[in-house]
Formats: sequence, C-alpha cells, structure tokens
Amino acid sequence: VPPVQVSPLIKTARWSALLVGIIYGKRRYDHLKPIAEEERRIEEEEKKVREEKERIAKLEAEANEDTILK
Amino acid sequence: MAQAVQKLVAKVPTLVGAAVNYSKPRLATFWYYARVELVPPTPAEIPKAISGVQDLLKGFQSGRLGQTTVRDALRNGLVATEVLMWFYIGEIIGKGGLIGYDV
Repeated sequence: VPPVQVSPLIKTARWSALLVGIIYGKRRYDHLKPIAEEERRIEEEEKKVREEKERIAKLEAEANEDTILK
Repeated sequence: MAQAVQKLVAKVPTLVGAAVNYSKPRLATFWYYARVELVPPTPAEIPKAISGVQDLLKGFQSGRLGQTTVRDALRNGLVATEVLMWFYIGEIIGKGGLIGYDV
C-alpha cells in the first residue's frame, strides 16, 4: 500500500499541537513544582507540631490513669 | 542461583540479536510510511494550511458543512481527535513523565 499524501493542514495541525503540548506541559510543571514544595514544607511543620502534641497528650494520659495494675 | 544468573547473562546477546532481527522489517515499514506521512510541514506548505483553514471557515459560514455525509463527518471527527491527541503527547514530553506531574 503506498503511503498517502497527508494534507498540509493536517500536518501543520499535528505538529503545532505537539509543540503547544510540549510548551504547556513544561510551563504547567514549572508552575506546580514550587507549590508542591511549599505544601510539603507546611506538611512537615504541621507534622512536628502534631507529634509534639501527641507526645504531651500521651504523657498526661499515662500520668492520669487510675489503675492499681502498674 | 549464581549459575542461573550466568546462564541468563550469556543468553542476552542472542536475545538482543533476535529482537533486532524481529524489529528490522517492521522498523523498515514504519520508516517507509513515516517519511511521507509524519514529516513536519515544509515552509512551503504552511500557506496551504492557512488557506485550508480559511476554506473550512467559508464552508462553515456558507452552510456547506451541513451537506457532509455522516460517514465523512465521522472520518473527519476521527482525524480531528487524532490531531488533538498529539497535544497530550506533547504534554507528556513537556512534563517529563508518563502519568502525573513529578513534583
């Protein structure tokens, strides 16, 4: 089967869609990367605060429990 | 265990050779078609593409597009979908990963 002659409109549309896609992907990635790093940093800090609180709550619970079975 | 690994490593050249032999004719047919169908448009063809878009617009305004058969409409729809899919392929290349954004 001989290869078909593709119309120039379709060819330009394909390759320009490819280029636009590459540019869009790169720009969106560059836009999302700092946001994700910011979220990770905030998550780390909140995790530290949460673990502190849990530690204190655990110590208090251990000190306050009313059992003679120690 | 070590012997099995050694046997496997010794088989790798034959496997690679077999893979190359298998893919050569298929690669040849691929290039045969791709060199005519998938090449980017030469600068001479870009005005033709622009005039093609203008033809489409004029056809839309004159109502001629309402005359297309369902068969032709489906075929054009498939071609348009394929053109749109290239955008997603480009996005995959741009974001440097297959599925998600690797942030």
